[in-house]
Amino acid sequence: MSALTIRRWTVGTIAIFVSVVVFLVPFAFILITAAKTAPEASQLAFTWPAEWQLWNNIGAVIADRNGILVRAFINSLVLTVASVAVMVIFAAMVGYVLQRKRSRWNPIINFFVLAGLIVPPAVVPTIWVLQGLGIFKTLGGLILIEATFGLSFCILLFQAFVATIPRELDEAAVLDGAGPIRLFFRIVLPLLKPVIVTVIVVQSVAVFNDFANPLYFLPGDANATVQLTLYAYASSATSAGALNLLFADILLITIPPLIMYIFFNRQIVAGMTSGAIKG
Amino acid sequence: MSSIFTTRRSMALIAGAALAAVTLAGCSTADGSSADGPVEISYLTTNGDDSIATGEALIAAFEKENPDVKVTLNTRPGGAEGDNLVKTQLSTGEMDDVFFYNTGSLFQALNPDSTLVDLSDSDWVSDVTDGFKEVVSTDGGTYGAPLGASYAGGIAYNKKVFADLGIEIPTDWNSLVAAAQKIKAAGVTPIEQTYGDTWTSQIFLLTDFGNVLKQDPKWAEDYTANKAKFSDEPALDGFTHLQQVYDEGLLNADFASATAADGTAALADGSAAMYPMLSSFVLSTLMQNSPDAVSNIGFFAMPAENASDTTLTVWEPSAVYIPKTTEGAELDAAKKFVAFVNSPEGCAVQVENVVPGGPFSTSACSVPGDTPALVADIQAYIDADKSAAALEFLSPVKGPNLENISIEVGSGISSAKDGAAAYDDDVKKQAQQLGLKGW
Repeated sequence: MSALTIRRWTVGTIAIFVSVVVFLVPFAFILITAAKTAPEASQLAFTWPAEWQLWNNIGAVIADRNGILVRAFINSLVLTVASVAVMVIFAAMVGYVLQRKRSRWNPIINFFVLAGLIVPPAVVPTIWVLQGLGIFKTLGGLILIEATFGLSFCILLFQAFVATIPRELDEAAVLDGAGPIRLFFRIVLPLLKPVIVTVIVVQSVAVFNDFANPLYFLPGDANATVQLTLYAYASSATSAGALNLLFADILLITIPPLIMYIFFNRQIVAGMTSGAIKG
Repeated sequence: MSSIFTTRRSMALIAGAALAAVTLAGCSTADGSSADGPVEISYLTTNGDDSIATGEALIAAFEKENPDVKVTLNTRPGGAEGDNLVKTQLSTGEMDDVFFYNTGSLFQALNPDSTLVDLSDSDWVSDVTDGFKEVVSTDGGTYGAPLGASYAGGIAYNKKVFADLGIEIPTDWNSLVAAAQKIKAAGVTPIEQTYGDTWTSQIFLLTDFGNVLKQDPKWAEDYTANKAKFSDEPALDGFTHLQQVYDEGLLNADFASATAADGTAALADGSAAMYPMLSSFVLSTLMQNSPDAVSNIGFFAMPAENASDTTLTVWEPSAVYIPKTTEGAELDAAKKFVAFVNSPEGCAVQVENVVPGGPFSTSACSVPGDTPALVADIQAYIDADKSAAALEFLSPVKGPNLENISIEVGSGISSAKDGAAAYDDDVKKQAQQLGLKGW
């Protein structure tokens, strides 16, 4: 064997080993802790469970507090799908127009897009606005909040990507008689597919994992999202906590992103790289 | 990309900053409740399976007795996130009709006179102990009713280890050190410390406060007025003792990384003899993880230099409050709910669901006869009038970095004197923010 082959083999082996340690070991830890009894789980040890309690724990988490987790999954699903849809459609439109149409408004619009990235959102004034509009404590209100906070980043991605689409395509479509709406939805939007996948992946994960926004803007157990169900199992000064249930909950919550990754694996990687080169 | 995510995470901080600027004028949201049909109120409790279970049981029992009221349970996180949430909800007028929150300085930080409903004319107030009344009252009124039992801070010990080695419960500091040396010679960890859960590092200092107050009854007032310091005796003792147990090698080998659950487990199986901790945490963890050991664990106060000064430091339970934004029929229902919590029926529910780390703070409730040994030990101190409230109930001054400073002192990184000086400096900023006089 040549020196080159040996080097390739060692580098490859190390890479596989590192990814196993970084990705699979934490997941294995979640799984085995979720399968333990409460006393055993509280030791937080990386050992095989003495008693395999996985189904009992998962059942307990699902049944807990009148099935709050099921409600939370529905809420999270609606929240994620709706807010990401809003982000994709509006950011694509804004990004397209900003890139194609040069006007003296552009610097002002760009300023606000950047401001949306930089200026941190303040909780109390935002709640006042929502109260004024009568949409505080509603899922619709939170969808708007999530979409607003994610929009700036998406606009920047779309704007950069639209720059790579030849202007001649637009002109050809216009010559063939397409109006502005038809031009955008039939010609431009399909071409944006790689960056749309990027936005969907990045923002779905961000919205699905969000803890602070649902906590402040959508209080109440009827409105809980999945991340808000986690802290019920944490310990406090007067409670020992239940780490087995906590990890069973984490395991269930990890499943939707995992399924998404398995099915959209190829598009995700393609979308990431296209975003990386052109963004 | 990463910048957006960090921005989102820092929202809690921003919320706190915004609150400082915002006047706490709760804009009322009186939604006209229908006269007929059940009144609907909501009850906000904190995380932890104990408080959720208690809340559910209380609501079930209350609704049975009052069929015309419907209560929904909401939950919030604890810690700094929970504090921010409660303040945000109060200042935006969105607080639940009844909510569960800490007593003492955290309660004072809610600006109770302008945000909470004064409950001092309720019937249950006369049953509440004076010590508790003090921590839920301002000059303007009494705002909270106790929910849960009080708990003590001190040293939980393994009775069997003590009995096998013929050790008496130490009542002064030198005999504690002597006992620890003897335990060490027998091959058992004398003192368990668990800095893996950073908050546990403060226990040594916080539980020494009863002794400080015994030596100087005006210490807490002087401390609030910037006249008493941790760098001076008697409060310095807490820091010097913390340094001493490290210097003399009396700690477990993994003190830097062990968690509170590890510490309790070591105490239960006899590999450690003493664990400075809150009684409620030790008891609830034991009951979950090693129920057989409950009868084998006792509790004693953090010893002072002189045996006559040794006093148990006691934490009052949290309380339920009603915000000013609750009005009309909801207010009546909320008051009924609060009264129910402190009624004999409510107490029965509490006793069933709360692990009492100590006695209840209202004469309406009593700890059942088959109390764990640890609770009986605490009760003995209270009956002998050898207990005092923790510092956080007597003074609003508490620095944010006490955990870090006590870990430094407790693992030999800095000396007791330096640690105490650093903490005095740490509280200065906080006292100035509170606008206290003399800082």
